Amino acid sequence: MRKTGIKTRTGQTGRMACWALCILVLWGGQLASGKVDLVTLPERGDTQLTIYNSADLTLVRETRALPLTKGINELQFGWANTLIDPTSLEMIPKEKVRDIGLLELTYPPRTQGVGVWRIQSKVSGEIPFEITYFASGIRWRAFYMATLTEDEKNLRLKGYVRVSNQSGEDYPEAQTRLIVGKINTVDEIVALAQRKAPYGSPVQEVGAKAILEDRAVRSEAQRELKKALAAPAAAMPQLARPKEIAKEGLSEYFLYTIEGTETIPSGESKRLPSFDQDEVPAKNLYKYERDRYGDAPVRFLSFKNNEEHKLGKEPLPNGMVKVFRALDEKGHLEYVGSRDVQYVPVGEDVELQLGSSRDVQVKPVDMEIKQTHFEFDSHGNISGWDDEKWVEVKVFNHRSIAVRVECRFNIGHANWELDKEGSFGDYEKIDKDTVQFSLELAPHEEKVFTYHLTEHRGTRAH
Amino acid sequence: MRAKEALILTLFLVCSLAEARTKLVALPGRDSVILEMSHPQNTLVEEERILPLQKGRNEIDFSWNGVAIDSDSIRIRMLSHSDEVVLLSVSYPPNENALVWTLHSKGAWEERVRISYILYNIDRLVTYKAVANKEESQADFSSFLVVRNFSGETFDEAEIQLSQGEGLTSRVEHEETQKTLLFEKEGVPVKKTFTFDARTLPWDPTEVDGNVGIPVHYVIENAESSSLGVHALSDGKARIFQDDGHGSTIFLGEDNASFVPVGEEMKLYIGDSRDVVVTQRKMKEEKINIRKNNSGGIVLHDTDELITVKVENFKEEPVDLTLVERVEGEWEMAETTAEYTKKDANTLEFLVKVPASDEKEFSFQYHRRNVR
Repeated sequence: MRKTGIKTRTGQTGRMACWALCILVLWGGQLASGKVDLVTLPERGDTQLTIYNSADLTLVRETRALPLTKGINELQFGWANTLIDPTSLEMIPKEKVRDIGLLELTYPPRTQGVGVWRIQSKVSGEIPFEITYFASGIRWRAFYMATLTEDEKNLRLKGYVRVSNQSGEDYPEAQTRLIVGKINTVDEIVALAQRKAPYGSPVQEVGAKAILEDRAVRSEAQRELKKALAAPAAAMPQLARPKEIAKEGLSEYFLYTIEGTETIPSGESKRLPSFDQDEVPAKNLYKYERDRYGDAPVRFLSFKNNEEHKLGKEPLPNGMVKVFRALDEKGHLEYVGSRDVQYVPVGEDVELQLGSSRDVQVKPVDMEIKQTHFEFDSHGNISGWDDEKWVEVKVFNHRSIAVRVECRFNIGHANWELDKEGSFGDYEKIDKDTVQFSLELAPHEEKVFTYHLTEHRGTRAH
Repeated sequence: MRAKEALILTLFLVCSLAEARTKLVALPGRDSVILEMSHPQNTLVEEERILPLQKGRNEIDFSWNGVAIDSDSIRIRMLSHSDEVVLLSVSYPPNENALVWTLHSKGAWEERVRISYILYNIDRLVTYKAVANKEESQADFSSFLVVRNFSGETFDEAEIQLSQGEGLTSRVEHEETQKTLLFEKEGVPVKKTFTFDARTLPWDPTEVDGNVGIPVHYVIENAESSSLGVHALSDGKARIFQDDGHGSTIFLGEDNASFVPVGEEMKLYIGDSRDVVVTQRKMKEEKINIRKNNSGGIVLHDTDELITVKVENFKEEPVDLTLVERVEGEWEMAETTAEYTKKDANTLEFLVKVPASDEKEFSFQYHRRNVR
């Protein structure tokens, strides 16, 4: 339902109220605010929504043709029951820029949801203006569905975006754009929108007055809107394919532009396919690290967001991934699990954590412990020694597919030496007190290796 | 003067002064009002009025209701006959928001006076808007003055003065907020920086849930070369946009700018880059040069510490990343594969240039001395 409205007041002398115009759609005005001070309707022209997901913020840009007369014009922009940051309101003429001066924007006393621009114009006639502001209540998020093949070597990855509008304002036929990225914000738009004074007050920051929503009125308005939208929607050309989303990098962010325009009435949300990629090669990775995951290894599905993996055209926004596995040729599915995945840049590894595993096991057992190399101080007390232990690690793959297992051991300090023998795979010192053994296991294979750790204590620790 | 004006100036002559303070006589209108708003919090009102003075003693009653004034700040200056009109005393009547000036005038004439006082609950904010070009090399930079008047007083035509530039004339109603353009500069050069501060950010991004964003800043120099540099830039909220190449803009982020004197830089944190990933690890920490006491206990030692840093750039453009590192206590660098600058006794900065879709690794090894 439209609740933002525009009125202009013009006059050569600077006095107000020669004539007024406002755009409150009739039923919208009646139902929502009960205040119908409309007349002429300068059509809201093109509307563009740029929706952020790291903050509750949408940059709304709309064009409206406003009738100006020579001299001083006053133009009132009103928004009732919608959450707009009044400090973000901006208006610029798109034509005759040099003939039109925006003198000031005033937020009249004792009113909320109204801004009045004083405009000096050297010309008369309809001038297209671009009005921008930040709104709260429109969000989007990404989510994914991954379907593993039966042998778990490949997966089909489908990305979606879901846009929901809880703003209280309908933006019919709006070009919809989504921003992937983490912007810095100082204030929440919803808090700014609810401030009693647009920029707060030096007296005291008056507590936000919650906007009361008359739900009955709202839902009635929404029904009306649906009726209103149903007719033109039927007349619109229907695409015989899902809409495409154009993607491009801008600054540190990614901009998704949804093909054509979207109408998402307030209270509704929409799911749109973002991409669909089949045969993405994936690796089954199991990680063992007792301090982090406990005794059971944790299963990961790993691939890379690059061309080799048939991806890499765009970063993957953070979102929930639901993983399924094909069970048979008839296409029956098994639900493997779901996990939030963080933002993945192009070229970066993706590791989907799918929870702890019982099919792959890592069992380290201390086979022998010793204390050696004692040192004594001048009083004959022990000042240093070495702790030695021999640990046998058994790694089992009970699955019918090949897996990679990464076993990490935390030593806790920097004074140690380590020898190893057996099928330990690749050994890597991760940092001063962490080591990792990476093993590749065939289906139903078992591997055993032993490491001998010498830890220097007291004066032996250098 | 508006009928509902809260500040009342009453003039009464000494001859008519009775015991009870009978307020009478003409109410001289404000001739001009200046709202001096250079101070970030307090607004100084300077108003000029014409007072019809009698020869001899005159009492001027200045009272205020419904507004808050710092009564110690109120002053009066004679403009027409500054040598011939003398301020004899200032008194504050009990239980009233008022003061009485006693003047002595050498003649009967109309005296132009300037009354100034600090008026509470009216102030100003400064905000900024920058629209960067697509390449992020320069920006259209504008600044706005926001006057918030909750003082209880309406100013019909006030000249608003800041320390910088020309004043603005405006009508400011009580409880009104007004936003006016202060200046607008096109093509102001901007520098984009990436900073990884190892003192505050996690060293190993694989060990945290979610991405470790690298803070990205826009830096604008308050200098002539940036079409600025005439005045200091007040502190205030800045919102940064970018041309998206399709005739529209996207919002890049916002930050509270600090006060920027001429010649200094305005640094605005716009958001985080998640396409640059820093992984830092301590690979070695050993005690060396161990000194023991007579019982064989270690009393003093140095350390041998090795840090490796990997910077991965997943962007399609090269990145210059500043790495801020901290080493505690007394130390010296043993070996480093990258150049650094020492910012203070314990802070080092490495500048790492990473080509597009590439990575750079470097390490530095230092000894901390005389660790107890």
